[in-house]
Amino acid sequence: MNLQKIIMIAGLMLGLIEPVFAGMHHDHMLMDEKGMIMNANTDKLPRDCEKMSENVDITIRAGQKHALKFNGKMYAFDKQQWDVKPCAKINITFINDDQIRHQLMIHGLPGYLYPEGMFHLELYGAGELQASLIMPGQKKTYLVHCELPQHAEKGMKAQLKVAGGDGDLPSIPGISTPVKADSYPVDWSGATVAILLLCVLAGIAAAFFALKIK
Amino acid sequence: MTKRHLILLATLCAVLVAVAIPFIPKTVQQAGVIPPATVFRHAEETSSVEKPCSNEHPDWRQAQVIDGVTIEAAPSCEPDNPYDIAVAVKGTNNVSMATLMQTDLAQDALTMGDDVDHDGDPDIIHIKLEVVELNGSSPDGDFLINTYAIAPGIQPGLWVYAPKSRGMAVKNFNSVVAAPMLRAPSPTIRVEQGDKVYITLENTHYLPHTIHLHGVDHPWMTAGQDNDGVEEHPVFPGKSHTYEIQPRHAGTMLYHCHVQTAQHFMMGLNGLFVVEENRPNNWVQTFNIGAGQVRHPSIAVKKAYTQEYDLFYQSIDKKLARIIQDAIDPRLIAQRMSRDYNMTESFENYFLLNGHSFPYTLRDGMLIVEDNENVKLRIANVQRSSVALHFHGHKATITAYDGVDQTEGLQITRDVFDIAPAQRLDLSLKTQNNGLNSYGPGLWMFHDHVATGTTTDGMEPGGNMAILAYKDLLDEQGMPKMHDELLNEVFSKDYYAKKQALWGQGDFAHLLGEAGRIAPDYLRIIAFGLTAGLVIGLLACIAVIYKKKQPQ
Repeated sequence: MNLQKIIMIAGLMLGLIEPVFAGMHHDHMLMDEKGMIMNANTDKLPRDCEKMSENVDITIRAGQKHALKFNGKMYAFDKQQWDVKPCAKINITFINDDQIRHQLMIHGLPGYLYPEGMFHLELYGAGELQASLIMPGQKKTYLVHCELPQHAEKGMKAQLKVAGGDGDLPSIPGISTPVKADSYPVDWSGATVAILLLCVLAGIAAAFFALKIK
Repeated sequence: MTKRHLILLATLCAVLVAVAIPFIPKTVQQAGVIPPATVFRHAEETSSVEKPCSNEHPDWRQAQVIDGVTIEAAPSCEPDNPYDIAVAVKGTNNVSMATLMQTDLAQDALTMGDDVDHDGDPDIIHIKLEVVELNGSSPDGDFLINTYAIAPGIQPGLWVYAPKSRGMAVKNFNSVVAAPMLRAPSPTIRVEQGDKVYITLENTHYLPHTIHLHGVDHPWMTAGQDNDGVEEHPVFPGKSHTYEIQPRHAGTMLYHCHVQTAQHFMMGLNGLFVVEENRPNNWVQTFNIGAGQVRHPSIAVKKAYTQEYDLFYQSIDKKLARIIQDAIDPRLIAQRMSRDYNMTESFENYFLLNGHSFPYTLRDGMLIVEDNENVKLRIANVQRSSVALHFHGHKATITAYDGVDQTEGLQITRDVFDIAPAQRLDLSLKTQNNGLNSYGPGLWMFHDHVATGTTTDGMEPGGNMAILAYKDLLDEQGMPKMHDELLNEVFSKDYYAKKQALWGQGDFAHLLGEAGRIAPDYLRIIAFGLTAGLVIGLLACIAVIYKKKQPQ
């Protein structure tokens, strides 16, 4: 009884799914044992674009070593910002330099081309994959990040600007300040204290002179 | 104005001060003949109340067969995803893509190889685990991310091992709630005795970790590489390391991180590791996500028992858990956790059974039985303190200590089981209504009898309190019948935030509800205010006059 139902459901699902290589592929998704691509788009123009403006190849590397140039981060992309023209087609080569999983997600895209407004690349380990997308025409800054727990929080976060973008997103390493920043102790030394005391004395002296002149 | 006037003024001030003192307004005051009335704050009026059972996946409860894997019924409110179980039994490489898509598992999370001994089950198992932070901080604002509540409104920072997953780590792109597979405790891992098992730690976290296979038969080194997962061989962020075992001895064991062990252990990097006896055609359920009921028990367990449960007792120090919520920079977290935090001055504030504290234990931490069953319980204590586990209405029998079977003559039947930190007990819990094994059907509580264990940061009922429930006494959503009043009270954030009176509802609400406050005595406040103002004014006058009298 249950078995029949399950076979039926499985059958329905398989109808939507065509196997490709060792993995799977349907309208919005391609997946195998190395990783997955969701919502790639090589030819569908956004509504506000009459034609593609440019065809850009971008290589994006992800890994722990790219965080070395930022203090207090653990993971990062090799770059934190990319600029493209309105209606640009972007061919992304995504390279994972780590032995763990990383993602490249672009958010805020039009939902009629990219379900949930999202373009999503994922590599289950070291390796690379390629996928394209076409950006809309409006001037906008898009969030690019790895969505594994604490990866974006610890630095794997960047922005993609179309037509110069509409500002910077918060907490992009090396570009913008965080909304909630860490606090660190200030490096007070004897000299710092001496300077403070000296200034206080100078202030008092100044007041004395001012009164005397009067 | 003469000196006499000044003295007079000063005396007046002193007198006024003396007058004002008895009128000082009070924040707490003794009641008169009639103490203040009881105030009523009904929890139903606030948004802090939750539905006891959200009943998200009623279809997951029934017994079913997926990809040829038989999955036992799980009548609880939050049953395990049966597709997770099918994949955990057959491996990501032996199930249909449709089944895999019903889970969040990565396609390389669990691959099963050859049947080396030709007994009908795979003997080469590759397991991949990641390290996940729950309830962590974000530089993007004052909120937690990948949230996981252990009880209503309680979200302590936690680390867990998780089967390698794919896709989003939150429920959906508008949410900060962790995806269902990302939860406490770390999953129970089951393998078959004699299997060649490769456990790869892919350290997705920002601090170094290891996997130490506590009690599991494993070589100390493999091919010149560390295989014991100890402090001096940490797996750093972004790196991976594979531990290899071929366990000769079956039993209930543990795995845990051995880097900065005291802290990483208490943060949640530990889980049950079960080696099942070798039997023909024995496909074991490699992951039991969130522990609890094993819906596809091994051949040996199925032969001797009607059901099997993994019970994992864990505790949290809220001060330790806060460290990852108060800082974002990994260097600050490392410093505060390893150098500033002092485990010898720590407390346990939260007590979890299978990742939840009461009342969430009612959703997925219950033992659900019928008459005349024999239930196998595998129990581990990873708290800092000992557990004294007590079952109401039942006496169970210890069949193994730390994964070593007790011969029948040495088996002990009792109703309080002391389990030291890191120890495991296998119990046989019989539900024969004979006055010894069981006193009959009921909604029997079972809990740690150490006083702190049934509290959530001191608030009772909380902690690892759970119920051994006879099935007829549960409703169709797996929640206890006849307890609506209690459930409505405790499924509330306000209750555990200690904002709600304990007996604030029902017949005794007037007598035991929340006592109100005394109305402010405005006469007294006005008298004091006027007098105090007068004193300050007079003092100011004296100062001005005194200054004027000074020769320029």
